[in-house]
Formats: sequence, structure tokens, C-alpha cells
Amino acid sequence: MGLVESGKLPKPLTSLLNTARKYSLWAYQWGLACCAIEMGAAFASPRYDVMRLGVIPLPASPRQADVVVISGTVTDKMVPAIKRLYEQMADPKYVISMGSCTNCGGPYWDSYSVTKGVDQVVPVDVYIPGCPPRPEALLEGIVLLQQRIGREDMAERWRGDPLVVQ
Amino acid sequence: MADAGTDTAAGTAGDEAADAPEVDEARQGVLATLADALGDALLDSHIAPGHALWVRVDRDAWVATAEAAKFRLGCTFFDYLSAIDWMPSPWGRYEDAEVGVGPTPFDHDAAFETGVAGGDTRFQIMCRLANVRRHTEPHLNVVVKADLPDDDLRVASLVPLYAGANWHERECWEMFGITFDGHPGLRHLYLPGAFEGHPLRKDFPLLARLVKPWPGIVDVEPMPGEPESGDGAGAGDDATAGEEAPE
Repeated sequence: MGLVESGKLPKPLTSLLNTARKYSLWAYQWGLACCAIEMGAAFASPRYDVMRLGVIPLPASPRQADVVVISGTVTDKMVPAIKRLYEQMADPKYVISMGSCTNCGGPYWDSYSVTKGVDQVVPVDVYIPGCPPRPEALLEGIVLLQQRIGREDMAERWRGDPLVVQ
Repeated sequence: MADAGTDTAAGTAGDEAADAPEVDEARQGVLATLADALGDALLDSHIAPGHALWVRVDRDAWVATAEAAKFRLGCTFFDYLSAIDWMPSPWGRYEDAEVGVGPTPFDHDAAFETGVAGGDTRFQIMCRLANVRRHTEPHLNVVVKADLPDDDLRVASLVPLYAGANWHERECWEMFGITFDGHPGLRHLYLPGAFEGHPLRKDFPLLARLVKPWPGIVDVEPMPGEPESGDGAGAGDDATAGEEAPE
């Protein structure tokens, strides 16, 4: 990837690479609560058929995944596992936060154990509101992420510095 | 306890539950057995005919009660163990609470409500033991309660008797701060290791509630059949009433 690291990438090449990347998203499923049912409907059922968007929802490990869909109630006890999951993923990596609980705590906004938003832990690219969101909402979130990937300047994103989770 | 005569009586009592049978001979027999085993340590009891039996025992007889239930009543199934904090919520009703209102201290002399079989202390520990070998209805089971004084929240562990009590006691320990003597390893079960406090106690502060009143109150609509008032102040009252009505 000498071209990318040089900081200058020809625009047609950027466009080509981005198109290739956005239509071969390997999505890791991080289902924590009831949103996982909707995620399962979107990812595993022929009715919604996420593979037509180029998403492969069954990577064998986070190391193969391009995007992780965190869906459900994130608890403080789960946070170390999510951090580790994110660190295990190879760059470029994206995070979709699905559902009110993951976005902000949702109905557990006053709980002693629920993390009020997974974005306190890992950077989130797309938030999907809803309690739970319908599968179509997740599909729209994926499309939004694909648009975002399509606009990305790869050289801008990879300056060789790894993303560090605080 | 398993003789045919008692079974018949219990079955009849269960069938006629709609007619409110006042006598539950099966459970009275269980109670008599426990009273015989425990003597004065059996403080109080309550029978819901055809439904359930509660006994409240002295804390020092906690294990002895379980032993009697296990070996004399055949209650080999450990259902659950938990605790109750009978303290009235010191935060008031959250829906009405104002921002930044701290807890009112617990008044040990004031009367507070406890459940069936009574109670004298803020914390009660309870467990439910059942005999699952008896296939007749109703199932023979007993709920055992014990009072724990505030300044000495500890009780003997049931793990030597019921291995299944292990995780229940670990949860109870971290959620209420009740220590179980003789437990093989009191470690956090659900909470992160560094968690401070006991979240199921009534006076555990929910920090989010301290900085923001419950936002759901704006969504509360009047119950069907209740008049909707036009003015703003009345709407607030209606909302409160609507909140109470389902109770």
C-alpha cells in the first residue's frame, strides 16, 4: 500500500478501492439484547437479505470483520469485551450502534449497570435509533455506512497511525 | 407428609381454590413438622391455602430450617435465595422528585411495611425450598424468611446443604451487602469487580436520577375514562393520577 501511505492516491483508484470495500463489508454481529433479534432478521433472513447489499454477516472472528454491529444493552461489565473486540478488528474498521440502549442507554438511562452509550468506549460511525429498530432501519444504517465509505479518502484515513481506544 | 390422606386433602383444597378453602391440611402438616424441628426459633408463619407457605425463623436457625426442610420434608430442590430491603424508598416517588434531592435517612423507629409472616428489620433474607418428588398438586414448598439486623448483615451459608445456593448467595452478597458465613467464595457475580455499593438497596443512589428528573412523565396520558383537563396545571395533576391508576 505504498500509494496510500504516500498520502496521495489517484482519484479513480480511490473510487475503485472504496467501491470494492463498501460492497464487501464483513459484519460482525455483537448482539447483546433484544435488538439482536432484529439484527438476526436483517442479517439472516431471506426477507431482508442483507447480502444483496454486499454485506457478509458471518465472519469467523473479529479479525476478519470490517464492521461490527453492536446491538443491545451494553453494560459496564461488557465494556472490556467490546474494547477488546474493537482492538482485535483490523483497520479499516467501522462500528454501527443499533438501538437506543447502545446509543445512549435507552430505557436504562438511570441504571447502575448500563453504559450510557457505547460511544463512550469505541468510536461509532452510524447510530440507528429505535427500540428496537426495525430490520429496515439496520439496512438503512448499512447503506449510510456504505455511502460514507464511498466518500472516504483512504490516504486521509490511513496515515499509518493506528486508532487508539482510550 | 407424603401419606395418602394428606395428599387427598391437599388435592381437594387445590381444586376448590375458587371457593376459598380456609384449611390447608397439607401445609399445616408441613408447618407442624417445622415447628417441631425448630421450636422457638420459628417466629411466624403464614399459609395461603392451596397456594403457599411462608415461615419466618430466627437468623441463627437459618441452616437448621433448611436442614429440616431438606431431610424431614424432602425439599431437595433449592429454588431461589434473595433478600428484601423493606426500607421505604428514601428518594420519594421519582416521577415527582426534584433534581438534586438526596435521600432521607432511614428512621429505624418508624413503622414500615413488611410482607407476609411479618418482620422486624429492614433487611430480610428469604429462600424457597421445594419437594419436587411429590407429584401431587399443590407442590409442597416452603418460603423461609429471616430477619437480619442492620448492624450485622450476615447469615450462615446454605451451600453445604444446597450446592445451588452458591450463585444466589453471591448475587445477594453483592446486591445487598449481606455476608454469608461459610460460603466457599464470595466474589462478584454480575457486577464488575471494582463496583462500589450495593445497588439493590433502596438507598443506593442512581446518579442519573439526581441530575435529571424522570423524563417519562411528559408522555403520560390520562387513563381511558378520565377527563382531560384543559389548563396546564390540571394536565400535570392528571398525568400524576394517570401514573397511579394502574397500581
